Amino acid sequence: MQRRWYTAGAIIAGLSIVAGACGAAPGGGGGASGDTSKGEIIIASNQPTSGGDASDGLPAQNGIQFAVESKGSIKGFKLTFKGWDDTVNGTHDPQKGAQNIQEMISDTKILGMIGPNNSNVARAQIPIANRANFAMISAANTNECLTQTFDYCEKETGTTPAKLRPNGTNNYFRIAAADTFQGPAMADYAYDTLKFTKIAIWSDNETFGKGVADKFSQEFTKKGGQVVARQDFDTKVTNDWKPFLTDAKNKGAQGVYAGATSGTKICIPRAQMKGILDVPYMVPDGGVNAQCIKDAADNAANMYGTVAAADANQNPDAKATIDAFKARFSKKEDVGSYTFPALDCANILIDAIGRAIDANGGKLPTREQVVKAVSETKNFKGTTGTYTFDKNGDPTSPTMAIFQAKSGDWAFVKQFSVGG
Amino acid sequence: MEGATIAPSLLEGGNVVGSLKQARTAFVTAPVGRLMSLLLLLLVIYVIFVLLTKIFDRGGGYFLQILTFGVANGAIYALVALGYTMVYGIIELINFAHGDLFTLGGFISLFLLPFVGADESKAGTAAIILPLIIVFLATMAICGAINVTIERVAYRPLRHAPRVAPLITAIGMSFILEGLMFLWKGPFNLHYPNLLPAASFTLGEATIHVKDIFVIVIAVILMIVLTLFVGRSTLGRAMRATAQDQDATELMGIDINRTIAATFFIGAVLAGAGGTIFGLYYNTVVFDLGFSAGLFAFTAAVFGGIGNIQGAALGGLLIGIIIAFSDGYFESAWTQVVIFAILILVLVFRPTGLLGMRVPEK
Repeated sequence: MQRRWYTAGAIIAGLSIVAGACGAAPGGGGGASGDTSKGEIIIASNQPTSGGDASDGLPAQNGIQFAVESKGSIKGFKLTFKGWDDTVNGTHDPQKGAQNIQEMISDTKILGMIGPNNSNVARAQIPIANRANFAMISAANTNECLTQTFDYCEKETGTTPAKLRPNGTNNYFRIAAADTFQGPAMADYAYDTLKFTKIAIWSDNETFGKGVADKFSQEFTKKGGQVVARQDFDTKVTNDWKPFLTDAKNKGAQGVYAGATSGTKICIPRAQMKGILDVPYMVPDGGVNAQCIKDAADNAANMYGTVAAADANQNPDAKATIDAFKARFSKKEDVGSYTFPALDCANILIDAIGRAIDANGGKLPTREQVVKAVSETKNFKGTTGTYTFDKNGDPTSPTMAIFQAKSGDWAFVKQFSVGG
Repeated sequence: MEGATIAPSLLEGGNVVGSLKQARTAFVTAPVGRLMSLLLLLLVIYVIFVLLTKIFDRGGGYFLQILTFGVANGAIYALVALGYTMVYGIIELINFAHGDLFTLGGFISLFLLPFVGADESKAGTAAIILPLIIVFLATMAICGAINVTIERVAYRPLRHAPRVAPLITAIGMSFILEGLMFLWKGPFNLHYPNLLPAASFTLGEATIHVKDIFVIVIAVILMIVLTLFVGRSTLGRAMRATAQDQDATELMGIDINRTIAATFFIGAVLAGAGGTIFGLYYNTVVFDLGFSAGLFAFTAAVFGGIGNIQGAALGGLLIGIIIAFSDGYFESAWTQVVIFAILILVLVFRPTGLLGMRVPEK
């Protein structure tokens, strides 16, 4: 009988995939003028710009489009933006991402792309881009196994950084801090700043959620704190977190850490905590969004979350760029936590293309030359930080930001450099 | 295990109970089987011992608290399980769409609430009682009407077709309902207004919320009404007769189409009420909720003895309590393993479920 249910599930999944294929979004025109005598270079973007992830994807795409439009041209080449959507039936889809990257590679004017937003899409795209020496820079991918080799990568993600790069040279770069930093960052904040010594932890038992929960737990215990209750839920069938919350309360938990995402009900237990366990709630970046605030309902205050990138608003030098961006994209939902990181990625790519043109004697550079130039990026000053890539493609000093839910929105608390 | 119980009856309509009894007797009397039964028994005793130590360690207040959550959660599963069991009892169809009808109950009541002026500003006041009753009744009626339509369109034309045909149309209806709810409200968790009073009282060391009591009381009332209806009313008697022998019932001048439609209506009324209670209790609904809720509710129906109304109620309660105890005392990751292990154990020793099957006799 159970098998029949699974079959039923598989059919639902199949139908969902068939239901909503989407085409490439058209790029915007306009922008700064300059010498464009030598031809055109296209900067591509790959983001989930429709469906449930659009609240993350569209703001990021806006940042990329803005960067390309405001630059306008580079050393005699006209710069054009072209955006791809990796959404299928409401959610980001690795297959669609793979198809997008094939399309990008087949257009010789495209010298690199900014994206994707989701680590599983990156996993599908990197090998295809790698064979074509095609540069990718992501603002939001946080899975550590995309760039770093750990003994659990093969088991948990089915692949390793080496396998993702069949031609041996790295073509994938990112400016977000890897997941290895997220759990510990919140654990430090809980122990040092919030002064908690007893914490309850739950996870959605998935790669990301369980990973951050485990790393939170290790760091918190190392600091001298105590994890009083720990549960891994199958969130597809769990509606009731109250027994776990009661357990946590009885054991004196001063806070609850959730390793999950909005897709795995991360902030549903927050609403159930009301009247049972009135203590702060802590989430990774999968919960720092509007859906979490909605799910937490009347218990949304007193939540803390980590984001794996810096907040551009904290950088006084970025003010002019932010103001110009807001003049071009004026709506509140046009800006998200990964807008300015994505804008920085686009500028890093454009800067690298500029150096590659110089290296090629002013002619259109090859994709190999662009990848090489990106990897040589040194102390690039962006709106969200100063970036240098290490040999894996990771930023040498990634930033972690902490936000707090206040009056129906996430407010910046602090940010700090991790790693290095 | 449930597969072995149900599938032969679906495909051949054979004497399931008899053949299973034989299989079990053969299993239990064989020397290896006897050894395994002994091991199983020891395992069960060990698990019960561990549970009792844990319960003793954590104290009575905690036990009572977890039990309350389990009973409230189980009451909702029970309401859904009743629909499965009634339909299976009368036409031996596993109505896969039933779980989605439960979700639809949540969606419809969420949609209706603003029309009767039920919003969170009135939460817990007397002004919320009448709107809630209206929403309850309207949701139950709409769900009932939808299920009767589904039966008319997708199941009745197939009543004399091979057993797998209506099973497939039932799966199809399940996808259609889920797809429609997806199109209607999208893939997100929807916030369901928190309308019940937040008040609570302490009982020993446990805090019992009015919400918990509300869920349990409404579910119990509905189950009592259902039992009385099936046991005492003419239509209820017609249902029991149809379940026993359709042809003879028809010969006695009873309109079996109407009787079966009524069964679907009542099942959906309970699912609609269950969906509304779920929304009010957990304050969230999502389009694919029916998949997991349906899975557990169907399990509950088999657990208690399919076709048996009291059995479904008991099965639902037990599953709710097992989930709560597993989450509260053990590892949540093991919850489903525990539920199905218990189900298999129960079915091995009582193939007809805890209170016995009541299905059409051939």
